Amino acid sequence: MRKLAETLLALGLGILVGALVMALWGHDPWSSYAYLLAGALGNTRALLSTISRSLGLVLTGLTFAVGARAGLFNIGAQGQMLLGAVVALSCGLLRLPAGVHLVMALLFAAIAGMIWALPVAVLKLTRGVSEVISTIMLNWVAHWLVLYLVVQKLSDPILGQRTFTAPLGMRFPVIKGELTWALALVLATALFFWWFLWHHAKGYEIRAAGLNPRAAAAAGISVRGAMFTALLLGGVAAAWAGAIQVLGRFPYAITSDLANLGSLGFDGIAVALIGRNHPLGILAGAFFFGTLATGAAKMGLRGIPIDMIYIVQGVIVVSMAAPEALRLIRIRRPAVALREEEG
Amino acid sequence: MAGEAILETRGITKVYPDGTVALTGVDLVVRPGEIHGLLGENGAGKTTLTKIISGLLPPTSGEIRWKGKAVRFSSPREALAAGIGMVHQHFALVDAFNAVENIALGEEGGGALGPVRAASVRRRLEAIMEESGLEVPLDTPVEELPVGVRQRIEILKMLYREVDLLILDEPTAVLTPQEAEELFSVLRDLAAGGKSVIFITHKLAEAMAVTDRVTVLRRGRVVAVRETGETSPEELARLMVGEELPPLKERAGRAPGKEVLRVEGLTVPGAEGRPAVRGVSFSVREGEILGIAGVQGNGQTELVEALVGLRPWSGRVELLGKALAGLGPGEIAALGLAHIPEDRHGMGLVLDFTLAENAVLGRLKPFTDAFGRLRWGRIFRFAQELISRFSIQAPSPKVPVRYLSGGNQQRLVVGRELSKSPKLLIANQPTRGLDVAATRYIRELLLKLRDEGLAILLVSADLDEILELSDRVAVMYRGAFAGILSREELDRGRIGLLMGGAREEPVG
Repeated sequence: MRKLAETLLALGLGILVGALVMALWGHDPWSSYAYLLAGALGNTRALLSTISRSLGLVLTGLTFAVGARAGLFNIGAQGQMLLGAVVALSCGLLRLPAGVHLVMALLFAAIAGMIWALPVAVLKLTRGVSEVISTIMLNWVAHWLVLYLVVQKLSDPILGQRTFTAPLGMRFPVIKGELTWALALVLATALFFWWFLWHHAKGYEIRAAGLNPRAAAAAGISVRGAMFTALLLGGVAAAWAGAIQVLGRFPYAITSDLANLGSLGFDGIAVALIGRNHPLGILAGAFFFGTLATGAAKMGLRGIPIDMIYIVQGVIVVSMAAPEALRLIRIRRPAVALREEEG
Repeated sequence: MAGEAILETRGITKVYPDGTVALTGVDLVVRPGEIHGLLGENGAGKTTLTKIISGLLPPTSGEIRWKGKAVRFSSPREALAAGIGMVHQHFALVDAFNAVENIALGEEGGGALGPVRAASVRRRLEAIMEESGLEVPLDTPVEELPVGVRQRIEILKMLYREVDLLILDEPTAVLTPQEAEELFSVLRDLAAGGKSVIFITHKLAEAMAVTDRVTVLRRGRVVAVRETGETSPEELARLMVGEELPPLKERAGRAPGKEVLRVEGLTVPGAEGRPAVRGVSFSVREGEILGIAGVQGNGQTELVEALVGLRPWSGRVELLGKALAGLGPGEIAALGLAHIPEDRHGMGLVLDFTLAENAVLGRLKPFTDAFGRLRWGRIFRFAQELISRFSIQAPSPKVPVRYLSGGNQQRLVVGRELSKSPKLLIANQPTRGLDVAATRYIRELLLKLRDEGLAILLVSADLDEILELSDRVAVMYRGAFAGILSREELDRGRIGLLMGGAREEPVG
C-alpha cells in the first residue's frame, strides 16, 4: 500500500516538475498535457497506437524485473532486444508457410536472446563478473553488430533508409489500427512471468535467491541456477521486444538508424522500476510510458518540445528510485550498528 | 589512586536504542605505563566500553576522566587528538596503499601526499620504528602483507599520531602464536616507554602473560580488578563465567542409542588462509545432546557451516553411515539433517517472504507437482499447522516474517526444521536474542526431542544453555576441541579454563 502511494507520488511529482519546466519556457502546461492526453488516449486510433507502443516496454520491463527478482541488475535488454529484432527480420530470408514463419521467427529470436544472455550468465557464475559491466559491453557489441547488418546486409535495395520488410506471412495479424496480435504474445509472456515467479518452484527459488542468497543456499537452493534461469528468461523477453517491433508494428522493418527500435531496452528499466518488478505493475508502467511517448509526438506537432516529456520521465524515475535508496540506507544502518559483535 | 590514573571511568552505563543494557556502572582505572587487561566472555561489554572510551559511542550516563580532566569525545577523531587510539579487530587500512600512504591518510591538516610530505612522513616513521622496535615494510601495498604486519601498521599509525593510550580489541584473534609473541614484546616496550595499553581479551593465558592488571567484566559489570601477579588463571576463569550452576535437568528418556553423526579429523579453512577448524573428531548418538561450548569466533561457525554443506572441508564426516564429502546443503538435508542457523535473519529466513513461503524453504519437494508447480493449498495448510503446533503468534500465513517478533521467527525456523523429521539436528545459538519465554520454549523442546531419540548437536556461546541441555560438552578453542567432558565431569571452573585456552601452551 505504501509502495503504491510512493509510486503515485513519484508520478505526480514528475508531472508537476514537467509542468513547471514548461511554464518556465513559456508553454502553458495544462493545455500541453491536454494535448498529450488527447494525442495518446483521445480516440480509438490514438489509444491503439499507445497500446502498440507499450508492448515492447512490457517485455524489456519483464527482463529487468526477473533479473532484479534474482538479485541481479540486468541492463542487457537493449542488446538482446536489438539482436532479437535483427534475427527475427533475417528469418524473412527463409521461405516458410504463413504462420509457421511467424512462429519460427519468434523461436529464432528467443534463441538469439538467450545466446546473447549466455556470456553474461557464464561470466557472472563462473568468474564473478558483474552483470552490469558485461551487459553494458554486450549492448554495444550488439548495437554495432546490428547496425552493420542493417546497413550492409539487410537494407532494402530501393529504400536505403530501412531494411527489407518482413514478409506478410511472418507478421502478426492486425487487430485494428496500429495494434496487432503481438498484444497476445506480450500479455501471455507477462502472465507466464507472473505464474512462473509465484506459482512455480523455480520462480520461488529465483525470488528466494534474490531476497536472501545466504538463506537460499542454506536451504539447498542453487543461487547460481536461479540467476542463470533469470538471465536466460530475460533474454527471451528482451529479444521478443525487438522481434515485435519488426513483426508486429509498422514499418515491419528496421530503420537504418535503428530509430524504430530506439532505447526500448533501457526504457524497460524505468518501466520495471515503476511497476515494482511485478508483471502487473509493469503492464501499467509500460502503458504510462507508452502514453507519454505517443502523446509527446502529438504535442510536438503543436510546437511544444518533446524533450519536456523526457524531463517528466526523468523526474519520475529519480523519485521512484529515491524512496528505494532511502529504504536501503535505513535498513542497512541500524543493522550494522546493532550486529557488531561484542568482544 | 585517582592521582596516578591516566584514564578513569566512573559509573559508565550504556543502554542501546533497542533496550539492551550493555554496561552498568563501570569503573575502570588505567595507570600510566601499564598494560591493562579487559577480560570477559562474549557480550560482557568489553568492546562497548572501549568504544565509549575512544569516542565511537556515547555513554548513556557516567563520566570519563582523561589525564585528570573530565572529557566527552564525540568522535574517534577527538579522542585521537587527545591521545587515545584504538586498533579494531577489523583494520582500517586501504589495501592498495602502502604503510606510508595509509598512515598519512586522514592526518589532521595533512593535505595531499606529495613527495615532500611523503618523505617527511617516512622520516618520522623510521624514527618511530627505530625507537619502538616495531618494524614494518614501508613500500609494500598493504594487501600483500600478512595480517600480523597489517596490525603493526595500525599500531604504528597510532604511535605516529602520538597517542598515550592504545586500545587493542582482541588483537591476537587474527595472529599466529609467533606473531602474538612479537606483539606482546612490542607492547611491553611501549609500556616501558610510558604508554598505557588496554588489552581486550577472553584468553586467560594472554591476560596472564602480557598484562600488569586485569579488570574482569561479566554481563556489563565489573566483577573484579586484580594485579596480574596476584591472581591465577583459575581465579580469572571463575570470575569470568561466574559461580552459580543452573539446575541439572534429569533425563527422562533412554540411554543414548546408535551413532548418527561421526566426524573424524575435520579441518575447515577459514579467512586469511588459516584453518578455522583444525582436525576435530567427535560423534553424536541418538537421544543425545552434544554441546559445543566456547567463546565465539573459535571455529564454531565454520564447523557448523562445513557440516551442513556450506563450506569446503577435509576429513571424514558420516551421517548414518553415509559419507558427506562433496554433497551440497540440499543433498545433506535430504539425508536427515536439520539445521537451526545461528543467524536466523541472514540464513534461516527470507525476511521479505511470507510465513507460508518461509515454511517451505528448503523443503519444497512435497509441495510441488511433477511439473514444478507450487501447491499453494498444501503450503498454506502446512503453514497453518506450524502456526498452531509451535504457537507462532502471527495474524496469517500471508504475513511477511519481517513483521514477526524474534521469538516467533525462531519458532517458525525450528518448526520448519523439525517438520523435516530429521535424524540429526544442528542447533547453532538457538536462543540468541530471544525473550525469556521463547528461550524456555526452545530449550524444553530440544530436551523433549532428545528424549524422543533425536541426535542433537548444540552450539552455544551461552554457557548456561550448554550446561542445562547437554549430555556431553566439547569446548572449542582456536579451532580445536580443548576437551570433551561427560555430564559427570561438568563444572564451570573447568569449562571456563578450557574456554580460555588453559590447556594450550601458555603463549607468554
